Amino acid sequence: MLNRIVKAYNEAVFETDKEAAFEVVNAALANGMTAEDIVFKVVIPAIEEMMSNITKDPDANLAQHFMTAQIAAEVTEKMLTKFKHPPEIVGRVVIGTAHGDLHSLGKRIVMGCLKAMMVDVIDLGVNVPAEKFVDEALARDAQVIAVSAMMVHTATGEGGARKVRQILKERGLENRFRLIVGGAPYRFDDRLFLAAGADAWAPDGVSASRVIVDLIKEVKAS
Amino acid sequence: MHRQLNAIEIFTQTQTIPSDHVRKPTAMACLIVHSTTEQHRINVADGQSVRDALDITEMRVRAACGGTGTCGACVVRLVGGEVTAPTVAEYMKLSPDERAAGARLACQLRLMGAAEIVLDQPAPPSQWKSIPPENLIAAPGSLPSLAELIYGVAVDLGTTHIRVALWDRRHGKRIATRHGPNPQGAFGADVLNRLEAARARPERAAELAKLARSAIVQAVRDILARDVGEVTPMLAQISQVFVVGNTAMLALLTSRGINDLVNPAHWQSRIDCVPKDLAEWHAQWYMPNAEIVLPEPVAGFVGSDLTADLLATGLTDGPPGSLLLDVGTNTEVALWDGRTLHVTSVPGGPAFEGVGIRYGMPAEPGAISSVRDAAGNYACETIGGSEARGFCGSGLTDAIALLVANGIVKQSGRFEVSPGPDGFSLDPANPRTAITGNDVDAFQRAKAATAAAMEQLLAQAQMAWSDLRRLCVCGAFGRTLNLQNAQAIGLLPPINPAMIELHADASLAGCEMALLSSDGAGRFAALAARIKATNLSLAAGFENRYIDHLRLRPIGSHAEHERISSCLIA
Ligand code: FES
Repeated sequence: MLNRIVKAYNEAVFETDKEAAFEVVNAALANGMTAEDIVFKVVIPAIEEMMSNITKDPDANLAQHFMTAQIAAEVTEKMLTKFKHPPEIVGRVVIGTAHGDLHSLGKRIVMGCLKAMMVDVIDLGVNVPAEKFVDEALARDAQVIAVSAMMVHTATGEGGARKVRQILKERGLENRFRLIVGGAPYRFDDRLFLAAGADAWAPDGVSASRVIVDLIKEVKAS
Repeated sequence: MHRQLNAIEIFTQTQTIPSDHVRKPTAMACLIVHSTTEQHRINVADGQSVRDALDITEMRVRAACGGTGTCGACVVRLVGGEVTAPTVAEYMKLSPDERAAGARLACQLRLMGAAEIVLDQPAPPSQWKSIPPENLIAAPGSLPSLAELIYGVAVDLGTTHIRVALWDRRHGKRIATRHGPNPQGAFGADVLNRLEAARARPERAAELAKLARSAIVQAVRDILARDVGEVTPMLAQISQVFVVGNTAMLALLTSRGINDLVNPAHWQSRIDCVPKDLAEWHAQWYMPNAEIVLPEPVAGFVGSDLTADLLATGLTDGPPGSLLLDVGTNTEVALWDGRTLHVTSVPGGPAFEGVGIRYGMPAEPGAISSVRDAAGNYACETIGGSEARGFCGSGLTDAIALLVANGIVKQSGRFEVSPGPDGFSLDPANPRTAITGNDVDAFQRAKAATAAAMEQLLAQAQMAWSDLRRLCVCGAFGRTLNLQNAQAIGLLPPINPAMIELHADASLAGCEMALLSSDGAGRFAALAARIKATNLSLAAGFENRYIDHLRLRPIGSHAEHERISSCLIA
């Protein structure tokens, strides 16, 4: 039965058909599958599959990434309410757009994927001051700070990731958090993330969620 | 407004004319125009003069009067065909020898059928063209009490285009219009890049302001030179210049409020774009008597161009549930709920203007403006009827809707069978009719942003799609948008098409109405007082709506999913 469900779910995700995905999940629940199994045996493998396919599938476009990440996030969110025990959280990330940047959609895909992968995502919203990134990361005991910037001047400017790095340095917090950046400008120059003071970057939202999970593990291991 | 169209073809002088071009169809006539440089086909409305027909293209005749036959500059050589007989003006301006050689005045010449002319002396190349008459809205109003200084200029300052109209305010008569590129585009197509450049260096700000101001006066001078015949004395007769635009353009025009605009925290508030150096403007424009009026923009992200749209369409005069869309680089949306004007803007992406689309282009000659399904083939209709050079917004909408209807593109935006990097050609013989996967993606994101913005305002007014009673679509789609197709893929809501109005240049029209009323600025202020502006990047729920609207299907079909997903929670 599991194979059939996985196949039907993957098909629905490939078609970015949220209704169809929900129907598969509903049917699985009706057949006695647990919410835990749906997340760990169906949803997460589907995302991992998408991550490994993303570089091989040039036809998948941004619109489709938005929709697939949304499906994963919504299904997971609803399944979590049915979990018998609260699930073990992989880690925690604070995410927001750089100061001066109002492009909120850029971080949507990565947030959707992360939620489905059991990463606790604290969304700080748009136009976030550098201090707030650090303060919230401390207060929430996060492992990763993710700064999204869609414009050249917010991606490299003084108020964005660079300032977050500076504050981390000043407060001696550099070992405690990893800083990742994302957004269109970093794609045009794959060394730009270094100039922005980041530890890592990712070219798209789906890959970013994988990089973030790796960074979380890195911090937890240290 | 249904007009019969005739076709004009323009060839280079060296080219021979294929004889089948001089055909004699019933509704369509063919005028072949030889010029020194180019070969075009353009459509001519029945009754339109050849000059007017050419004025909306890059191939203008010389002219120094308003087409009254008085300047004699617009000479063309008639080779043959069915045209109107020479007018008295032509007998007066052209010698018998010239007439025997086929000379005609383009402003007097009209098509009766197929014809052929030579453009021996075209006007020097110019950025400025007349706005196609079908895109203009009749602006009611006049100022009979205006005894002197009766002229006025309306300006719609857009990110990519500037539109200008010269009016006789006293008699309420539009003398001519022009549109052309905003020269600030050289500093970045993106508004924020321009703002950033201006913020970083004051001298750059001054330069950008000057560029926009000189473009405005160039357009006015072009009108005066070609449609009036006198420039400098007429500039002094101008009593008002009324300027609307998006907030960033107004800030860059006046070098005011730029710092506020770069900081998103200020986007929701009013931005002061009142010029401080008007004396300099008067001097630069040679318009010593002009009152320069720039109504205050609504907020950082909603300009006075939206207020102009509201005035032009009379949105608040209509029933509650009247919605307005002004589609452009930034799409602005307004909803009238009977009490409040809810407005917002959304960076829908300039896909509807052809930007970011492989073969996208503005609505210019050669742009595919509509596509029809012709028994399994795709019949592409272009502006001017010439060979397709790419898609404008309405053609792109048709193409994608038909590809979805035919099962070639799925609702997800994915091609059923990948067409490869070259895309799917609607006309296999013409690669510029291709739609790529990325084109579909850009379109999906633009239409989702538009639909989500409309839905967000409806939610804010506690209304539903079914409460809509009127929808005015202004801007980039012009008047050629196919409503059924736009509804089928969720660009427009599935309401009775009779409730949908297509306006092209509504902001210019609103600006013109202000120019023709004694208190234009006051009318803008009265509308502005009813406006409640929402910044979508701060609005809860907008992102979910956006993602829900990405699929290529009618708006409202996802109401079904709300039902299904609520079962999950139960
Ligand atoms: S005579 Fe034709 S434009 Fe002046």
